[in-house]
Amino acid sequence: MFEQLVDGIFWDIALWVFAIGVLWRILSIFRVRNKPDYSEPRASGLAGAIGANLRRFMPRSEMVSRTRLQFVAGYLFHLGLFALLVFAAPHVLFIEAQTGLSWTAMPYWAFIISAQIAFIGLMLLWIYRIMHPVTRLISDVDDHLAAILTFIVMFTGCMALLGEFNGLRVLHRFMVELWLVYFPFSRLMHAFMFIPSRAFTGAWFGRRGVKA
Amino acid sequence: MSNNRQSRIRHHRMVVFSLLSLLLLTLVLPLIPYAVADLGESAGKVVNPGADLWREVRQRDRSVIGTTRVKGVDSGVLINVYGEDWRQFRMQRLIPYGAALMGIVLSVILLYYLVRGPLRLQGGPSGKKIQRFTVFERTTHWFTVSVFWLLALTGLILLYGRFVLIPLLGPDGFGLTASACKEAHNLFGPMFLVAILMLFVTFVKDNFYARGDMTWLIKGGGLLGGGHVSAGRFNAGEKIWFWIAVLGGIVLCVSGLILDFAVFGQGREVMELSHVLHGIVALIVITVSFGHIYLGTAGVEGTIGSMTTGYVDEAWAKSHHDRWYAEVKAAAVDDSETEPAGGGSASTGVASPTRDG
Amino acid sequence: MNDRLTRGIEAMRAQMDSRVMSYMSSCVHCGICAEACLFYTETGDARYTPIYKTEPLRKLWRQEYTFWGKLAASMGLSKKLTEQDLADWEELVYDGCTMCGRCSLVCPVGIDIAYMIRKVKEGLSAAGFSPGDLVEAGRRAVGIGSPMGVTLATLQATIRVQEKETGIKVPMDVEDADYLLLLSSGEIAGFPEFIGSLARIFKATGVSWTISSDYFEATNTGVQLGNSKMATILVERVVAAAGKLKVKYVISPECGHAYSTIRWDAANFIGRPLPFKVVHIMELLDELRRDGRLKTDGVTDERISYHDPCNAGRRGGVLDQPRKLLNMVAPNFVELPETGAMNWCCGGGGGVSTIERANELRLKVFSAKKRQLDAVKVAGLVTACSNCRHMLEDGLEDNEMYDVELLGITELIADHLAEPGG
Repeated sequence: MFEQLVDGIFWDIALWVFAIGVLWRILSIFRVRNKPDYSEPRASGLAGAIGANLRRFMPRSEMVSRTRLQFVAGYLFHLGLFALLVFAAPHVLFIEAQTGLSWTAMPYWAFIISAQIAFIGLMLLWIYRIMHPVTRLISDVDDHLAAILTFIVMFTGCMALLGEFNGLRVLHRFMVELWLVYFPFSRLMHAFMFIPSRAFTGAWFGRRGVKA
Repeated sequence: MSNNRQSRIRHHRMVVFSLLSLLLLTLVLPLIPYAVADLGESAGKVVNPGADLWREVRQRDRSVIGTTRVKGVDSGVLINVYGEDWRQFRMQRLIPYGAALMGIVLSVILLYYLVRGPLRLQGGPSGKKIQRFTVFERTTHWFTVSVFWLLALTGLILLYGRFVLIPLLGPDGFGLTASACKEAHNLFGPMFLVAILMLFVTFVKDNFYARGDMTWLIKGGGLLGGGHVSAGRFNAGEKIWFWIAVLGGIVLCVSGLILDFAVFGQGREVMELSHVLHGIVALIVITVSFGHIYLGTAGVEGTIGSMTTGYVDEAWAKSHHDRWYAEVKAAAVDDSETEPAGGGSASTGVASPTRDG
Repeated sequence: MNDRLTRGIEAMRAQMDSRVMSYMSSCVHCGICAEACLFYTETGDARYTPIYKTEPLRKLWRQEYTFWGKLAASMGLSKKLTEQDLADWEELVYDGCTMCGRCSLVCPVGIDIAYMIRKVKEGLSAAGFSPGDLVEAGRRAVGIGSPMGVTLATLQATIRVQEKETGIKVPMDVEDADYLLLLSSGEIAGFPEFIGSLARIFKATGVSWTISSDYFEATNTGVQLGNSKMATILVERVVAAAGKLKVKYVISPECGHAYSTIRWDAANFIGRPLPFKVVHIMELLDELRRDGRLKTDGVTDERISYHDPCNAGRRGGVLDQPRKLLNMVAPNFVELPETGAMNWCCGGGGGVSTIERANELRLKVFSAKKRQLDAVKVAGLVTACSNCRHMLEDGLEDNEMYDVELLGITELIADHLAEPGG
């Protein structure tokens, strides 16, 4: 019963909530009008927007020593998660079954490494969030919930790895569904929103001739 | 043509006959021991001819090495004789003794708490705080804690699940749980190596033997006799725990990796040994961690803050780690002499900015 | 809901734009902005975390623009933005932020945090939670025409002294001049030699310039206060003065926020393009250098460095010009560590140096600048902002760093000006 729901209607609902929610959130940004900038630009705002989107993937040299843990753990987590999400063998099979699209899955050893670095990154970031006075002060329920939910999704995925127990697969998929539904209403939206944010800031600085 | 046909018929006949004989042989084969037993009984002192056969099958003295077209480690071994020893050890030693060890230590701790209660801070807190652990040190600690307990819980379920969980979940439910725990345990294992390395690098400098550690040990850290014993940043008990965690952690990691990645030519014997070592060390480290947890939380008043906010009361520092307290105070005086405007003020309970980055 | 809170909320609501929405939706509370902010790094107090200073705006966004916020608000579950919040944030936003925007350059998701703090100020000032000193300065700026109360008579007296010293007539109210020079009150009162220096440079390079007696103030207290109405009034005065004299260019003097305001914000305050071009004095001098009109003679052998004013450099884009100018006269120029767009703020910008109760704090956070200076060990520090220069003076004195001499870049150039025909 529960299995049919998770594999059927729950999955459809989760996907629709995710897709419509994310689109709605992105569109709602542009629903509010920005006032035109009448100042005379020194350089191209568009170039600044693109430049900032690329440059902000790396920390400024001045910041490296002060933000080493966040930088290392942040990259470990995001790269690991991305690799798991897109190239884990069960995921590739699942996506093929759902969409017909298929690509090469990563080998088992690569999966192990991806899972390791994703977990290490996520745990370090979350513990740091609780330990550092700054992040402890500015974090809210949403930050913690997003971290815990993502951890549970990844953890149930690992538990289901053997593929022998359908119950574990269903549990993992159910957690993914919760995560998808939570996504558009939460901090997880940063996965999309960082692009317009960097673009706005990059354009603002770009017009002034400053590389942001 | 007819000759050809005749030979084919003969061939078919032979095949059918061979198959039938084989079938008969197979059916009779299990009866051989009974026949042998009968024979032995009736024949009195006649040596059991099956014994030699089984001795060779079991390859106990390695006089016979099996051959097979299957290429792989131990593929020439039909029956691993040590497997039974290992099983016996796991079921009759590791599981009951491990449970007893953990149970006794937990009971002693509980009893001590009920009888003596927590170690109170004499004279109460001073209200002034000093930083004991930086953000990075605390992050390292809790990262190790998280990985350790994920592994400990999944490991304990694998070891004790059949006694504790089968009655609760039933065999199917436990099968699922055990599979989940095994996968999680295997995947989290390598992370423990990272955690142990981080722990080692972060804390090793204050965990070498120093003068006064022996005195501390003889006096039982003041826990037994009462009265406080002089200590540096870490007392002898904490140092021992550090080395148990690091060395035990390394043994756990190495033996765990041998079990986890059976693709490097390690045979069953090596894996059995690894498992025995893994089990014993894991149970010891888990048991010692009970003591660590007790002393860090309920056991000693004012300690928990050192690993949550990073700060402890000055009175706590003075009473438990007097030499460390003196060092911190001396360093603070140096700092304020050389750099009047810089640095976070420790006494107001804010983090030191330069160390938290 | 009471009046003050309503005014504050309405002012902030008016500030909600795509950028704020996007920024609010992308912050993951990583805390990296704190590591770029001198108020955090130098005090270690987490409350000075830049994104935390935007908390009132975030609360409003949450309760009015997000699903959970709206849901919780409708059920009375969430903690709404209160008047107390606004009161509590006054000190953080006005005393504990110089609007230097260093945080905006380091945010991994690209949030311009200073942009949002500016919007929080809009709400606080509308609700009446602004420091009295700054409000008074604003009153003087609107009433007298200068936040420091420098009147036309004072300016004229100063100019007379400078004319006497240089022997050059300072052109007042000259119609159809190319350039209209604005001045900051801090310069007129503290560094009047700037006027004389410019007079000499402009004479040597043949620049047609003037000062308006209608309006000469370059600074804009409305921006520091977070009062767009006031800022617009002050900008309109510049536009009117420039229009009356029909100048082609307006020169922003050595002042950071004056430049970023008149160059980048002014057109948006008045809602139309400016009828003139704006140049920072560094830009103009560099242009004269490039055209071969500005020539120098001799150099200073001292080891000197340059302090980028945040609003001219990081948030204004005037980064190369001062370096090219210094290259003419100072062969022993060295960069500060973490320089250019990532330079540390002096600690007195954004109106902080106007707020008397913030004196202790701004001198404490000056330790960031001290660290930079200790690393290069220079004899002279040049800057292009009179407010920075005042703050640097205070900071150096407070730290007993008497061996570092402060210099204005225009004076340095003027001191090495090649005599015409020479």
